Amino acid sequence: MEKKNRLWIAIFLLPSILIFCLIYGASVVTLFGSSFTEWKLASKLEFTGISNYVNLFADKNFLKALSNTVIWALLQSTIHIFIGVTFALILSKKEFYWKFARTAYMIPNIICSAALGMVYLSIFNPKFGAVNNIIRALGVEDFSQNWFMDYSSAFFTVTITWLPFAGVVAILVLAEIAAIPEAILESAKIDGAGEFKTNIYVVLPLLKNIIGTCVIVAATSMLKNFDIIFMTTNGGPGNTTLNLPLYIYKTSMLENNYGYANTIGAFLILLGIVMLIVINKAFKLGQSDI
Amino acid sequence: MKISKLLVGLIKYMFVITLVVISVVPIVWVLMSSFKTNAQILESAFKLPETLNWSNYFNAFKIAPLTTFYINSIFVAVFGTGMNLIIIGMAAYVFARFEFKAKSILMLVFSISLLIPNTSVLYPLYVTMNKLGLYDKLQGLILVYIGFGLPVTLYILKSYFLTIPKEIEESAKLDGAGFLRTFIQIILPIAKPGFGTAGVMQFLLCWNEFQFALILTSGNNSRTLPVALSYFNTQFASNYGAMFAATVIIVIPSIIIYAILQEQVVSGLAAGAVKG
Repeated sequence: MEKKNRLWIAIFLLPSILIFCLIYGASVVTLFGSSFTEWKLASKLEFTGISNYVNLFADKNFLKALSNTVIWALLQSTIHIFIGVTFALILSKKEFYWKFARTAYMIPNIICSAALGMVYLSIFNPKFGAVNNIIRALGVEDFSQNWFMDYSSAFFTVTITWLPFAGVVAILVLAEIAAIPEAILESAKIDGAGEFKTNIYVVLPLLKNIIGTCVIVAATSMLKNFDIIFMTTNGGPGNTTLNLPLYIYKTSMLENNYGYANTIGAFLILLGIVMLIVINKAFKLGQSDI
Repeated sequence: MKISKLLVGLIKYMFVITLVVISVVPIVWVLMSSFKTNAQILESAFKLPETLNWSNYFNAFKIAPLTTFYINSIFVAVFGTGMNLIIIGMAAYVFARFEFKAKSILMLVFSISLLIPNTSVLYPLYVTMNKLGLYDKLQGLILVYIGFGLPVTLYILKSYFLTIPKEIEESAKLDGAGFLRTFIQIILPIAKPGFGTAGVMQFLLCWNEFQFALILTSGNNSRTLPVALSYFNTQFASNYGAMFAATVIIVIPSIIIYAILQEQVVSGLAAGAVKG
């Protein structure tokens, strides 16, 4: 019987192992392996040591993409989290509108982000977009800011397409607040703490772990952020809104510089691991799945 | 005291209302605009369309092979979700219930997938799919999405299996049910809610994924809807009405699924995040 079980265990695991090896295993080996080579469209693969990594730091586009990615990760792990947590704290009082607000706030997070990019592209369209029309209606005549294409506004505009939409953070924090024992909140009330004080001194410390998790999710989501930028600014104007995912795409698919693109990919993985360690340290996250 | 309390209340409402408005209104605006003609769109951004004018939708389907893209998207989402649940579900069951030598190592190796932003393996996966002859094929996209959904599905299902009392299987065993029969006839029916949660998340992943659909397909035969949008963006940028209609067509299914299966989405997100 035991032996038979072992056979079944192997059969049940095999497809997942195959998928893993194919999608992640082989990719990561190729990625790190070829990051030490020069590998272009029409040339042979050639071992070049760490020169790709050295070149990264002399590459203006890479440095811009890196700094944008890091800035966005920082904004996402501070402002984005602050907005989401505040939203959750307000909703946690469960006033009549809380379910509706929770649902509506989630919508930008569950629809196709390429489509969302399209929506924002239209909203901020200089000619027929809603934003410019509102500003014109408010009295600024002939207002024609080209939000996504102008050097002065492109970075700001793409940033606000994701920064305020912290629906996921709000949902996670709300679930955690619901799990706080009623007695703790009651005793705070008896001690005379108002709503604000209770939130700051009692509720927030209890939310430390889930907020830490949210920071990890929010920060690392900026390492995969591609769709909206691709649909709206495509990294432009110039390289003002270029980030690492977009640069990997451009380097490999448009410039056919594969070895170099894979170096950036390898760097992206390392950057993610560094972020994870730093955030874990900052929040002293006790138990971790990874 | 009373005034300051009122003020705080007002600020709170304004905060919530602002966020809800900016989440919903852009999409409603696009929906509204999709019923206007190009001339009406340029004339006024806020005027409601006078009639429900469906011509943009007909145009959108005429300009781009949206029907094909739609069928492709459904095909990818259905098989990408179904096969993900079957394959990862089997592994999750074994991880939740049995002890074997390689268990902890295997779990650790699978967790590596969490540390890899999908974008970083853009080109390596492109090469793999080409070598397998799956470039520009729906099967290729399905395979990639099954892999991308591995960590979240594994986590959700494993956690769910762990909540099922072991006694249920033991009594099945006494009744003479073997490994496979226990899994299919006893465990699967009980674990339906877990599969629901994981399934919704995986469906949304397959339906919404853009970047790999973009690089792994080239012809109209295997493009999915999100890629079709970039088609409108570049080639038919002046046909605003059709562009709006195409956007609505892609967004609506996600919103409907979310509206119906909200609780699953919420718990799925929670599980996915705790995992990440």
